[in-house]
Amino acid sequence: MKKLVALVLALCLALGMASFASADELPTLDQILLGENTDLAAKIHFAYHRTDRKELLEGYVAKFNETYPNIEVEYELITDYAENALLRIGNNDWTIMGIPTVDKDELSKYFVPLGSLEVLDGLYNFMSDKSFDGICYGLPSTGNANGVLYNKAVFAAAGITELPKTPDEFIADLKLIKEKTDAIPLYTNYAAGWTMGAWDAYVGVASNGDPAYMQQVLPHAKDPFAKQADEGTGPYAVYKILYDAAAEKLIEEDYTTTDWEGCKGMMNRGEIGTMVLGSWAYTQMQEAGDKPEDIGYMAFPITVNGKQYAPAGGDYNFGINVQATDDEKLASLYYLKWLTHESGFTFVEGGVPIDKNGEYPELYAAFAGIDMLADEPALEGEATLLNELNSESELNINAGGNTKVQEIVEHGFNGTKDFDEIMADWNEAWSDAQATLKVTVNE
Amino acid sequence: MSTVQSPLRKRRINWQKIALIVAFAIVPLFLLILFTYVPFLKMIQFSFYNMSYTKNKGFVGLDNYLRVFTKSEYVDAMLLSLYYMAGAVVQLSLALFFASILSLERIRGNGVFKAIMFFPFLVNGIAIGYIFKYFYTRGFVLDSVLQALGFQLESLPYWLRDQSVNNWSLVFTSVWKYCGQNMVLFIGAIASIDPALYEAATIDGANRWQQFKAIILPGIKTVFMLNLILSITGSLSAFEPAYVVGSMGANGTATFFIKIHQMAHVSQKVGQACAMAMVLMALILIFTVLQRLFFRYVMKDSDNTFNAKANKAKTLW
Repeated sequence: MKKLVALVLALCLALGMASFASADELPTLDQILLGENTDLAAKIHFAYHRTDRKELLEGYVAKFNETYPNIEVEYELITDYAENALLRIGNNDWTIMGIPTVDKDELSKYFVPLGSLEVLDGLYNFMSDKSFDGICYGLPSTGNANGVLYNKAVFAAAGITELPKTPDEFIADLKLIKEKTDAIPLYTNYAAGWTMGAWDAYVGVASNGDPAYMQQVLPHAKDPFAKQADEGTGPYAVYKILYDAAAEKLIEEDYTTTDWEGCKGMMNRGEIGTMVLGSWAYTQMQEAGDKPEDIGYMAFPITVNGKQYAPAGGDYNFGINVQATDDEKLASLYYLKWLTHESGFTFVEGGVPIDKNGEYPELYAAFAGIDMLADEPALEGEATLLNELNSESELNINAGGNTKVQEIVEHGFNGTKDFDEIMADWNEAWSDAQATLKVTVNE
Repeated sequence: MSTVQSPLRKRRINWQKIALIVAFAIVPLFLLILFTYVPFLKMIQFSFYNMSYTKNKGFVGLDNYLRVFTKSEYVDAMLLSLYYMAGAVVQLSLALFFASILSLERIRGNGVFKAIMFFPFLVNGIAIGYIFKYFYTRGFVLDSVLQALGFQLESLPYWLRDQSVNNWSLVFTSVWKYCGQNMVLFIGAIASIDPALYEAATIDGANRWQQFKAIILPGIKTVFMLNLILSITGSLSAFEPAYVVGSMGANGTATFFIKIHQMAHVSQKVGQACAMAMVLMALILIFTVLQRLFFRYVMKDSDNTFNAKANKAKTLW
């Protein structure tokens, strides 16, 4: 009996030491080289949300296995991803996952550090988003620039020769589309919900050209949703476009029964004029029918001091489970590096490349002369402030706050509430949250 | 001696019994405690904290509860259950009506009717949601049927868009689903009534309505109460129709249950959501008790047959 206990103890100690020793040895993303260590054997369980890209992703695994035959990658593609990931984040039943909304100071609790922000920022785009205290915990899957999808044929039929640059021009063009074509000028995708939350993406860079706005200015702003002195800019102008479009009946007639899958084909066939979605949607619209050449992408119609801006940022970031074994962690690093450098995923998906030397797909042709800016990280010690304000105010800007945007459509369409009143409500919610969290407010 | 022995023997037998009961019950009890009572107690605890899934931001006392009653949006959401309660009344009346007809009259194809009425209950709630989403879409099923009946499309409302009708549209889906189930329960209860009573009533010259009032209604009292309580509590915690058909509670269809879901999963205010869940539970309890009291009162009044009076007299004496 004593022997057994001793044996078990020794084994535990040895295992503990082993894991300690190699935890120090885990290299960072910039240190590893693809093509080395090819006999590494491990199994990777990859939780991700792109249910529509099963074949593509599994094809990548096959290609990756040509170099690393002993690393087995199994994809679990989840429809209701954001919620599911949040519930499972503390488990050990995944090796790599797309990082859900987590406070930045908690990243280290769940994810393996990938390297220092200082080094990785020079090699990859959008690294600051999932970093904390100068350490990166996530590598973006692809990058998105946010603008507006439009159908070139519809625009031509409506006689629109120049892309709109201001909210007024945009609304005027929507009216032209309604007058001269049978297409739905602006398809809101109201029923899907998250497609409405997508409007939040334009509150930052696109509406005021300031990359610091989202993370640094907004948390301290007094009444951020109020009408700004420079008319046609700021968050107010973004949501006003939606309100006006709904009020002028420039959106789909029965918006409560819209169908996300169906809208792709409608866009492709020219039954829809515009849709406000990130660049990731571009390829899907092209693939949905026979007229991929008709799909166009333009910057959001707000001009700040004569210049248009496009917010760009990482899509879901990949993170590696801290609870995984060392071999699994290392294998995951190789796979993530391979995905970023070799797979061509971002190009195929019409995304902004993550690899700084990567190639831009042609959808960004219309973005010539437009500044693509990524949000700057939060000020020191405020990494979680925006999340907390979002939660406290229940506005959830850029964090699944779909309901509030849907309400804009309802009130606009039914005329049940003035736009200024809605914005005043939001300002109140924001101020209350700032007061509760004792945030200093800059007048 | 024998008077001392027998309780002892009894006790020995009880031990064996207890051992057996424990052996059989321990697994289900363990699961019940682990997955029902522990989470429930945790929920009570969480409801006094300001916390998200990953972070506890501190004890806040009754703040979470106060907010539920002071914010108009939650009160509005609770009032939405009134639609579903109205639906529940219609649903129960219809179910009782069909159950009585199918039980009292010898209708050919009796079983087929029952099966057809019961079928919706077997369909998954989410599937029903999708069926009705297309059912209500402009120009789809409902509109086509109504047009075939001579209605003009222009005069029809948008079933899900118009806020004056959309909650009724959702309530209808739930009535459609549960009516058959209620009916089957009623039929079961009616079947347990002694058919000789109808015969006797017929001989006494009672018509169908009188038979229904005097024989069926008192005979199915318990099942009726059960159905009513289930429907009303179901109305208070309505979720599926508004979530699936109503696009996750958009357009003024967000029930209290949906608000809880949004609070916990979108705003990640777990403490607040737990407090809301506790309030909902309290409401359901209150409603159940109120219903029981109400019906005890009503039934007492309607029970004034000669026998009941005689019994009362006896107990008084």
